[in-house]
Amino acid sequence: MDDYPTLSSLQRGERAIITGVHAGTGLRKRLQAMGLRTGREARVIRRGRLNGPLQVRVGSVDLIIRPRDAERIRISRLS
Amino acid sequence: MKRIALIGMPNTGKSTLFNRLTGSSAKIANWPGVTIDLLAAKVVVGGAAAEIIDLPGIYDLHGFSDDERVVRQFLENNPVDLVAVVLNATQLDHQLPLALQVRELGLPAVVFVNMADEAERLGVRVDTAALASGLKLPVALISARNGSGFAEVQRLLAATLGRVDAVQTQDIRQTLAHDDELVGEAEQLVRRAVSAPSRIERQVTERLDRWLLHPLFGLPLFFLIMFGVFQAIYALGTPIQDFVAWLLDGFRDHYLAGLAGLLPTTLYSFLVSGIYDGIATVASFVPVIILFFFLMSFVEDSGYLARVAFLTDGLMARLGLDGRGFVMMLMGFGCNVPALMGTRVMRNRAMRLLTMLVIPFSLCSARLQVFLFLTTALFSPRQAPLVLFALYVMSFVAAFTTAILFSRRLKSDEPFVLEIPPYRLPVLRQVVMRGWHEVRHFLHRASTFIISGVVLVWFLTHFPEAARPGGAGTYAYTLGQWLAPVLNPIGIDASMAVVLMFGFVAKEIVLGAMVAMTGLEGQALAGYLAQHMDWVQAFSFMLFTLLYTPCVSTLATQRSESRSLGFVGMSVAWSLGLAWITSFIFYQGARLLAG
Repeated sequence: MDDYPTLSSLQRGERAIITGVHAGTGLRKRLQAMGLRTGREARVIRRGRLNGPLQVRVGSVDLIIRPRDAERIRISRLS
Repeated sequence: MKRIALIGMPNTGKSTLFNRLTGSSAKIANWPGVTIDLLAAKVVVGGAAAEIIDLPGIYDLHGFSDDERVVRQFLENNPVDLVAVVLNATQLDHQLPLALQVRELGLPAVVFVNMADEAERLGVRVDTAALASGLKLPVALISARNGSGFAEVQRLLAATLGRVDAVQTQDIRQTLAHDDELVGEAEQLVRRAVSAPSRIERQVTERLDRWLLHPLFGLPLFFLIMFGVFQAIYALGTPIQDFVAWLLDGFRDHYLAGLAGLLPTTLYSFLVSGIYDGIATVASFVPVIILFFFLMSFVEDSGYLARVAFLTDGLMARLGLDGRGFVMMLMGFGCNVPALMGTRVMRNRAMRLLTMLVIPFSLCSARLQVFLFLTTALFSPRQAPLVLFALYVMSFVAAFTTAILFSRRLKSDEPFVLEIPPYRLPVLRQVVMRGWHEVRHFLHRASTFIISGVVLVWFLTHFPEAARPGGAGTYAYTLGQWLAPVLNPIGIDASMAVVLMFGFVAKEIVLGAMVAMTGLEGQALAGYLAQHMDWVQAFSFMLFTLLYTPCVSTLATQRSESRSLGFVGMSVAWSLGLAWITSFIFYQGARLLAG
């Protein structure tokens, strides 16, 4: 569809800045309330096996999110 | 009476604070306009009576999750005199927007910044004066875990409660339409009032997770931990359960038996075999429920349960379940009742219902007793373990089939995002309170249903009076005969159908029912069964017993937890149907093959 990188493409230990949350209002609200909002830095701590969830650190909070939902979060990679 | 509502995000220690404020007096109650039960308690604040309500943990007053809807329903239908917002001091960047939302709604509020002890350990400093002036709300720094700052909590509640009239908010979502601005305000506030190291290091958590969430060792460790918890609950619980049963039987034999001559026979039978046995059934669950929640809240409060979700979600997501549901399913192999109650950790209703539909297929310890007896009676010592193993496999197959089939109907529309809290040592007081509240909840909500079910079965198996209890001529037997066209194709005759009806009360009774019907016990009963049932019939009977319906206590719990009789009806219809089809395929298939 498009080739913007999303949160789900990050590997263990990689960091990125969230540039947009592309989801319906309900989903967006939820992700934002959990801290996944534009402008914040996210780091992938680990990924689950068998296409399992990602453990993501945003600020002081650790979250797990399924790859399917993480695909809706656009990022810009930090090296 | 003044009303105080506690609001906060999950993992903020809100419930610990609630328990500290209210002690054991808290009760589950329903509220106007609110679709779930909430825990509330009456307390004395500043010399006057007040009630405190523990609202579900939420991230956003504006959001669409089931819990967020509940909190809105509560605030829009029940005027509150004060909202106490509980925040986690180590995550103020994340949590302040919620406090600002409360203020934005014009609700009278105080803010308790909790986990002061943890914040201090991590080098996070909170300037409460700056926070209070920025929020324009009174603020106190506290630790619900060790009780520090508690005098300040009491003082603030007394000072603020009743200063203004109770507020009933309207149209919360509309009022908060522009709450994105609050995030900017929260960020400014954090810069002014919080000083924290640039990177918070939680060394213990990191080190533990390196093993517990390890790509290879994570899952084996999970099964090991679950096995330990399971053993602890049921190795301890079963003797206590036996002891309770022994006490209740003793009371019946020594005291109630004395009434036998004094009361009319029917009334005596009603009281002893109906009501008293119903009460005994309810009582038998109390020890396991306490132990279950004692250990499960340990697993939950420590932060491990959220990690289970991480470990198992890759597989569970395909079944429409989540990892915590899988934990409850495993626990169901001990007893379905506390496992169903434990699904409350899942905050999404659709996912919770799906899990509650799956749990009854877990081969619980009561069913195991029946199968142990039947397999030893009807199979050779070499076959028996294999038969038992096959039944366990069937239990999993039925559960996963159900999950896959119904996950489309009970689809959760919420994204699966879960916070992973740092590991924390559970507060003993909190763990004990949980067990106590759960038992009270079970007794309050399920006992009437269970006793009614036991009385119904008593009636079916003891009337008309001319017939021998459980024998030919009773309503149950007649019903069994009517059902012959359905039950014969799976190899079950009318007397075994009566046994199944007894089995509805509790699977433990199945053996007792066979004893009552044949007049034989132990070896003699085993011999009798071996003569009257071949192995195909026996296995078909066991398959049916495994799947056909959970006991009345499980149904009562399904009803009280889902608050929907329709759901219970669907669950019963599905398990009966699945049991019949499975037994039919097996029985007819085996007969065909055997020629």
